[in-house]
Amino acid sequence: MNREDLYEAAGHIEEDILARSEGPRRPRRGRWLGVAAAVVALAVVGGVLLWPGGSPLVTTAYAVREAAYPETVAYPNEEDYLDPATGILDDAFSEAYDAWWASRQARQQPEGYADSLAAFWEKCLPALLGGQAGENAVCSPLNLYLALGMLAELTAGDTRQQILDLLGAESLEALRTQARQVWQGHYWQDGISASTLASSLWLEEGLPFREDPLDTLAEAYYASTYQADLGSEEGNQALQTWLRDQTGGLLEDQAGSVTLSPDTLLALATTLYFQDRWAQEFPKSTTQPGTFHALAGDQTCDFLRSDWTETYYWADHFAAVGKDLVSGGTMWFLLPDEGVAAEDLLTDPQTAAFLQAGGAWENQRDLVVHLAIPKFDLSARTDLTQGLREMGLTQVLDPGEADFSPLTEEPLWLGQARQDVRVAIDEEGVTAAAYTVMEMAGATAPPEEEVDFVLDRPFLFAVTSQDGLPLFVGIVHQPG
Amino acid sequence: MDDLQIIQLYWDRDPEAIAQTHQKYGPYCFTLAHRILASREDAEECVNDTWLHAWNGMPPHRPNVLRLFLAKITRRVALNRWKASQAQKRGQGELPLVLEELAQCLAQEGDPVTDAAVARELGECVRAFVRALPAREGDLFARRYFFTEPLEDIAGAWGLSVNHTAVLLYRTRQKLKDHLAKEGYL
Repeated sequence: MNREDLYEAAGHIEEDILARSEGPRRPRRGRWLGVAAAVVALAVVGGVLLWPGGSPLVTTAYAVREAAYPETVAYPNEEDYLDPATGILDDAFSEAYDAWWASRQARQQPEGYADSLAAFWEKCLPALLGGQAGENAVCSPLNLYLALGMLAELTAGDTRQQILDLLGAESLEALRTQARQVWQGHYWQDGISASTLASSLWLEEGLPFREDPLDTLAEAYYASTYQADLGSEEGNQALQTWLRDQTGGLLEDQAGSVTLSPDTLLALATTLYFQDRWAQEFPKSTTQPGTFHALAGDQTCDFLRSDWTETYYWADHFAAVGKDLVSGGTMWFLLPDEGVAAEDLLTDPQTAAFLQAGGAWENQRDLVVHLAIPKFDLSARTDLTQGLREMGLTQVLDPGEADFSPLTEEPLWLGQARQDVRVAIDEEGVTAAAYTVMEMAGATAPPEEEVDFVLDRPFLFAVTSQDGLPLFVGIVHQPG
Repeated sequence: MDDLQIIQLYWDRDPEAIAQTHQKYGPYCFTLAHRILASREDAEECVNDTWLHAWNGMPPHRPNVLRLFLAKITRRVALNRWKASQAQKRGQGELPLVLEELAQCLAQEGDPVTDAAVARELGECVRAFVRALPAREGDLFARRYFFTEPLEDIAGAWGLSVNHTAVLLYRTRQKLKDHLAKEGYL
């Protein structure tokens, strides 16, 4: 092999990366912007609450078992290594860069490790986002997956089997291996982007329990276990503080409102805090107010705008554009055709197929896309119990059938399960100016080299990770 | 004209396809060819060869992104032309610099790969490597080693200094070397 062979081999770089690399760039700036999202999932079992892993300052006093998180290596701040006179990076940068790279590589999971979850992701969309027509809805399928995995560890018999079936797992061991891979593939805080998963189990004081499953939760799910007087003021405060810490303050209001009833015996909580930047930032000078045609009436909000070459996708009932994130993930925007409700896309098999295709979609073209996305900051609380039932988890919800024997002989069942999610997208600064509403070309093959993609009516979005897993999926009915 | 229409012209065996392609993508392909060949005349000939290959390639191909389909042909044709001309002239254009950098990814320079299957596997190896890179590193790599863009242009587009860009590319090349070794190529 010689140098020319290697140059020829670079001809195999995929087209989406080539197209992305040709896009416009802007100077790097040392600040966060782009996408921020967080979720808190809470499952209360027969008055028992499970809780996500916590702040040592607050919760160590209650800890039964604390998970050890892998260390993350920060991406070196290039400014710190730059000689201002010469613009040359010193050798220490290379060392720091290598350390960051090694840390990142260590998290890379084998290709296809989560393929068996395809059916689960597909079921999540209608089960978690349906039934709220006209209202903002958002959920985190990835977070739910981890919560259910933990639940499988704590249950037995048919109760466990239903969970394994839903998650497409052949065995508890297979699920455990996969869950660990999912966790490791989605936990990082390197200063470029952040994705923090946390889980915890909270046990009522005095509840007799077996320790084995707690060890498994700590090792495979990085989940900590705490024991406290659940439902007391002190217990609620510890829980709230823990939630705030895990979600970067993004769910301040929701965390503050979380209280357990005094009869709670066990609670399972999982969180996912996610923050990332657009690979190509939106020019702040073009953000302009515009009209969003909500079902409840028109409203004015700011629209992020760009006019770049993008890959434009279309299906039978929607058109879509994906915005790359610095971490390698993507935020997808799906605009239903005129006359199609955003909720209708949840049961459209093409929607799940598209979101799992990672851009490998037949109907696509590179075009100059006149993109307009409303800045939004939406929060939603979703009661998961009905959705879980629809997905086939009946036993764990049934007080007479649920089997939590691996953990305790006490009769427990899943009495409550919910997710609080907040997703916000933004850019820096807003310049108010007149805005002209552009017409949508429709989700058929675009006729020209340019297309307007204006999200000025209810639409569906999804944030997928570099591995293609759905971190957040939602429907925006009211951006403001 | 719309790309789909141009592609259809190829499929209809209508020579207008080449005229339309030349009008729309002539400058784009010329720029790429010129970076590699560093000769206006050679680059123009390379672009004309590209149209011929496109004509022979469609059908059966129906490219998703016509621009990149043409870029890949241009790049391949230009490299072959560059190789053929190396006996006469050396050291011109961006390609020698790019190749010099890529040589750093090799433990030692060996005989050229002549087996098409091995070449495909090597391509797949590099594809997977670039796919796994963070977005910025992947983009820098593509612009330098696919589009053969001068460092100054890449640095300008990213708001980085040339040295900074060179260091980031150097780090990525080191990773590629490790990757190639791990995959058994070195």
